Amino acid sequence: MQSCASMTTASRRTLYPEIEPFRTGRLRVSNTHEIYFEESGNPRGKPVVFLHGGPGGATDAKQRRFFDPSAYRIVLFDQRGCGKSTPYASLQDNTTWHLVADIEAVREHLGIQRWQVFGGSWGSTLALAYAQKYPDRCTELVLRGIFLLRKQEIDWFYQLGTSEIFPEAWEQFLAPIPIHERGDMLRAYYQRLTSDDFEQQRVAARAWSVWEGSTSFFVPNQEFIAHTGEDAFAVAFARIECHYFVNRGFFPEDDFLLRHVDAIRHIPAVIVQGRYDVVCPLTNAWDLHRRWPEADFHIVGDAGHAAWEPGTVHELVCATDKFRA
Amino acid sequence: MRECAALPVAANLQSCNVMNGPYPEIEPFYTGTLQVSSQHCIYYEESGNPHGKPVVFLHGGPGGGTEPKHRRYFDPGHYRIILFDQRGCGRSRPHACLEENTTWDLVDDIERIREHLDIKRWLVFGGSWGSTLALAYAQCYPERVSQMVLRGIFTFAPDEMAWFYSHGAKTLFPDSWDDFVAPIPEHERGDLLNAYHRRLTSMDAPLREQASRAWSLWECRVATLLHEPELIGHCNDPAFTTAFARIECHYFVNRGFLRTPTQLLDDVPKIQHIPAILVHGRYDVICPMRNAWRLHRKWPGSRLVVVHDAGHSASERGITQALVEATDSFRDAPA
Repeated sequence: MQSCASMTTASRRTLYPEIEPFRTGRLRVSNTHEIYFEESGNPRGKPVVFLHGGPGGATDAKQRRFFDPSAYRIVLFDQRGCGKSTPYASLQDNTTWHLVADIEAVREHLGIQRWQVFGGSWGSTLALAYAQKYPDRCTELVLRGIFLLRKQEIDWFYQLGTSEIFPEAWEQFLAPIPIHERGDMLRAYYQRLTSDDFEQQRVAARAWSVWEGSTSFFVPNQEFIAHTGEDAFAVAFARIECHYFVNRGFFPEDDFLLRHVDAIRHIPAVIVQGRYDVVCPLTNAWDLHRRWPEADFHIVGDAGHAAWEPGTVHELVCATDKFRA
Repeated sequence: MRECAALPVAANLQSCNVMNGPYPEIEPFYTGTLQVSSQHCIYYEESGNPHGKPVVFLHGGPGGGTEPKHRRYFDPGHYRIILFDQRGCGRSRPHACLEENTTWDLVDDIERIREHLDIKRWLVFGGSWGSTLALAYAQCYPERVSQMVLRGIFTFAPDEMAWFYSHGAKTLFPDSWDDFVAPIPEHERGDLLNAYHRRLTSMDAPLREQASRAWSLWECRVATLLHEPELIGHCNDPAFTTAFARIECHYFVNRGFLRTPTQLLDDVPKIQHIPAILVHGRYDVICPMRNAWRLHRKWPGSRLVVVHDAGHSASERGITQALVEATDSFRDAPA
């Protein structure tokens, strides 16, 4: 087993091998929503729940591979309205607090007492919200690409910030919006993504998702950009994300997650952040780190936002390995 | 392997830069000084081929000074390479002097050197502030510029300044930013440029030196994609930081001495006929990509080369390679 301490680019840890779930299922969580969940790895292993990004990003088989399958019982689920959960792209009864309740519903359904919570990007937001509400249910936290859903973070990505580093992609993001509406891009997109005109919804969804796809990797990943532009992904991703962002994450205060860090400071945690994450810039993780100095904080010098960046994979796998026992 | 593979057998093999890196280290064949005003005397040097195509290298900062490695972006067999230290920095005297030190004084100095060396036209090469000065010079004397190679574009527009000293770079480098604002009391942080300017022009030498170091470190720590201890060391050396910080801040509080905040963008039509290559690092957080994109949009004839795995520094591998390719591509273009 390679040591995590001595890291050169060549000795970086990589993902565990591909695995199939030993069980998949569906859970009815409200009158409207039914969610897909799956378990893989060791049925008697240490439980870990993977919280995907977006919101609306859905899970992916590759996400099972951050965890040693002989040691972990790996639980993935698609949050309301995305992936294999139904109804697709529905915004009804779809808030942070519904998702927090769903995590508890999945945990109880699977007869799990406590588990490790692993999430990146919006998954980190949801992990913090869940852990702050149910700290006793969390054995450890592994967080990546920190997103606290504050106004400054939304403005950075959708108004002024990332635009300066990816000006070509930004032009494409601006394109569907008339000049007089560009002062509030989030609102302009929300109107289109919730429009009754399905074609307008689709055009907006694709532009919205491609903007994020184009800026998520340190070196642009054409395959990923193409994937984000597919309707089957983009409509749920864009509609759900924008719905959460317009509603400011359904948090009562802008810095709600920072304010309540004290509730979880006793939980062992690792924070992994790409230096060149332009979707969730380092200042988010830095603010969290300052409020939570006990958590291990790792900055990856040559990584952007995506979980798949080699240096980020290394740190994440090291973290889950460390917490294996 | 770029143009090198296609070179005729008779070509000078030494000038074939197969490594794609910088050209080998060379020494100048001439160095001199030129008295450009009653107080300023500037250092200049020539290296490469005395009968080659002339190129002038404009360094950054302002206040950054030239270094021997700056000669290495040019094929020494083909180019007559001219470097000079702008007023108040490097080997120019008096050191760190802010009097008679404006963009337009420097533009005039470039002309003085050109006339002194009896050069009709030259390639103008500059990165960061060097790109600013190159634009200002070319817009004043377009007939003197054969081609341009610009890197890490900085046009001195107000949003470009705000990015680095107010809202942008600090979002990606909050750790370095904390050290940058540390010497300034909370109540003065609303206007960091002026807070630093007061300290950098103060009579209190220790205060001036502390401010110089913090100012320079902020820039050096974010200049390269990955942490570069050697560069950080350089930016801790008072021989460098005093001139660098004082002169930069002097130009910044005076908004580059421009006629209007967007003068250099508005005057692009004066130079749009000049062949130009713009090289920019995607993760340049000092002069973000948007600066280059905006200039390129206004100057459709220019060629924009984006280096994905690079920050601001000219020393980044991909940037060096793109710059060398650019000057190589202009080797045989008319002088």
